Amino acid sequence: MTVPDAELGKGASAPDPAAGDAPHRVGSSAYLFSTLMVVVATGISFAIQQIVTLPNLSLVFLTAVLFSALRYGLWPSIYVSLLSVAVYNFFFLPPIHTFTIADPANVLSLVFFLVVALIVSNLTAQKQRQAERVAARARLTADLYGFSRKIAGIGSLEDLLWVVTYQIAAMLKCDVVLLLPEGGGLQVRAGYPPEDSLDAADMAAASWTWKQNRPSGRGADTLPGGRRLFLPLNTQGGPVGVVGIQRAEPPIGDERRLLDALADQAAVAIERARLADAVDRVRLQAETERLRNALLTSISHDLRTPLASIIGGLSSLKSYGETYDAQTRSDLITTAHDEAERLNRFVGNLLDMTRLEAGAIQPRLEPTDVGEVIGVALGRARPLLRQRETEIDLPDDLPMANADFVLLEQVFFNLLDNAAKYTPSGSRIRIVGRADGADLTVAVIDEGTGIPDEAAEAIFDKFTRLEAGDRKRAGTGLGLAICRGFVQAMGGTVAVGNRLDRSGAVFTVRLPAAGAARREPETTDKGIVHVG
Amino acid sequence: MSANPTKILVVDDEPQIRRLLRTSLVPQKFEIAEASTAAAALKLLAADAFDLVILDLGLPDRSGIEVISEIRAMSQVPIIVLSVRNDEAGKVKALELGADDYITKPFGMAELVMRIRVALRHRYQAQGTLPVLRAGDLEIDLVNRKVSRGGTEIKLSPTEYDIVRLLAEHAGKILTHDYILRRVWGDDKADDVQYLRVYVRAIRKKLGDRIGENEIIRTEMGIGYRLLIGEP
Repeated sequence: MTVPDAELGKGASAPDPAAGDAPHRVGSSAYLFSTLMVVVATGISFAIQQIVTLPNLSLVFLTAVLFSALRYGLWPSIYVSLLSVAVYNFFFLPPIHTFTIADPANVLSLVFFLVVALIVSNLTAQKQRQAERVAARARLTADLYGFSRKIAGIGSLEDLLWVVTYQIAAMLKCDVVLLLPEGGGLQVRAGYPPEDSLDAADMAAASWTWKQNRPSGRGADTLPGGRRLFLPLNTQGGPVGVVGIQRAEPPIGDERRLLDALADQAAVAIERARLADAVDRVRLQAETERLRNALLTSISHDLRTPLASIIGGLSSLKSYGETYDAQTRSDLITTAHDEAERLNRFVGNLLDMTRLEAGAIQPRLEPTDVGEVIGVALGRARPLLRQRETEIDLPDDLPMANADFVLLEQVFFNLLDNAAKYTPSGSRIRIVGRADGADLTVAVIDEGTGIPDEAAEAIFDKFTRLEAGDRKRAGTGLGLAICRGFVQAMGGTVAVGNRLDRSGAVFTVRLPAAGAARREPETTDKGIVHVG
Repeated sequence: MSANPTKILVVDDEPQIRRLLRTSLVPQKFEIAEASTAAAALKLLAADAFDLVILDLGLPDRSGIEVISEIRAMSQVPIIVLSVRNDEAGKVKALELGADDYITKPFGMAELVMRIRVALRHRYQAQGTLPVLRAGDLEIDLVNRKVSRGGTEIKLSPTEYDIVRLLAEHAGKILTHDYILRRVWGDDKADDVQYLRVYVRAIRKKLGDRIGENEIIRTEMGIGYRLLIGEP
């Protein structure tokens, strides 16, 4: 689950209500300041009335009107216009200190002043509103961009729902729930603050929104009595869910537009995540299917082949035993026995694989003499290596490995089994151990055909067989997968490469050395020390 | 032997296994009695004297481990346990409780017969009275504390000698790590399998012991060591 960090919250710059609503609702402070401006204009006019002609003084008041329109919008500037007319008349137009006007020309100029002031007020306020709208739109765009950026990289549906919910909640300063269709109905899938279910009224509104694909609840035309406002999450492919928000004041204007835009983006993102999930499911299904088929093929092949030999051989002996010479009887028995052993190995591999996949492998790690392990594995693999030469090259001072003896023995046995299967008879298998820093490596080097580079990883997958089919007696396809599983369980790695001259494969097992646990036996009579 | 054939009690719930053992062991001059449950086995053992018990650890009515304890409470009859793969802990437990040896299913009949003979011999042999122990081409002169293989004398340190002698005294029989450690070093080293491994490695080197070729000390994975006394 992605937890939104501080940065996520930063993007949640909800439009400031005071700024956004300025043209519509103006506080009393605007009129106070407007009055102040008229007072200032009056002061200036008094100061300069000796040097400028009377009609020009009206320009000072016009300036006040302009400022008021810029700062506070239409109504305060109209107020300033009217106030200015009154003050100008009272203080400056003769007869002074009365509202009567002696000169008819001044009446005319006062009327024109008022007209000009009103026009200026209107134009300026309009301009100002436009600028504010542009700014709000830019903010909206930035918010949406931030939102889409945050939800773009999220792969899993669960994470996505959580981030979408959190972001809407932070941007609009409201409580948010997200509902997705599930099993015929709607189900709350995410909430901020966390919410598991809705009350009946809200649920009814959400369902209505889902079915009608229209908003409902508080602030909408339908079911306005609810606590929340529900919006459909729409995509071109149809609705994917419903978002519900709850706030003291339902969002209107720009906020509502922002909410709609967020809902659209969230819908697209949710659809994308769902499609990705579906693709993953299909892929997983296909993979499961492939494995099941491979397992069936493998089991039927690997169980039936040896069984066929065993049953065939034994039934021959049972029916015609006395007619065969000693050599034939012995051959039949040996074949049946070998095949039974092979079957036994296969069953062992199946059990090992099952244990691995069930997570039932618990290695008993202790300092282990790799030479001893290899010896035991070689002893067990001897019947398989009948026509192979083996050569062991382990330095006397090779450190002990920190490993599980039994698991490691199976690893080497499987590697030898593999080498026996894929190499010509008469070839040589070398086992070379080396210390390497805090690790030790053991390489099993054969003289087979080697491994194509592109198969170097796949060879460790279950049921992967190179040269399968009839060309060669194929293996179980489990041996190397078990090798890797066991080695990894012991904290090591196993990899395959080719000999430099491409004359065979090299399987390298790397295990941590058990440095601390090494001990030396006492010195012998001859003073020879054999280091463990 | 002909007058008093060796009597073996086979305890296994699988009829095929009992049938296999009966068919294979009777021609080897063993007399076979069978039991399919722990209760039946204990009843037979209480009523009659047996020379050896072959006991499956997976019985339907009780755990084979428990049965070993019960048998040991009344008799010192040799017990060979039939076990399955990947159950080292069960094997060690069985040996600790007094089983003489184990064999893992599926097993070769030659190996089982050899285990039976080893178990029978140790049970009836007076211990430590012979001046010279022999196992394969290995010879141990108990009086002079000398070891030779194929006629060549091999220099061993005192501890190494103790290990080889212990293995040779029980030639053919599995000895657990724990048992060897206690016998050679005493109780305080009982957990230090590592210590034992290092010595065995040194002994093998001196004996010219190559596993898979001419090995004489066999590693029984996760359990212990066994001195081989010829072809298994």
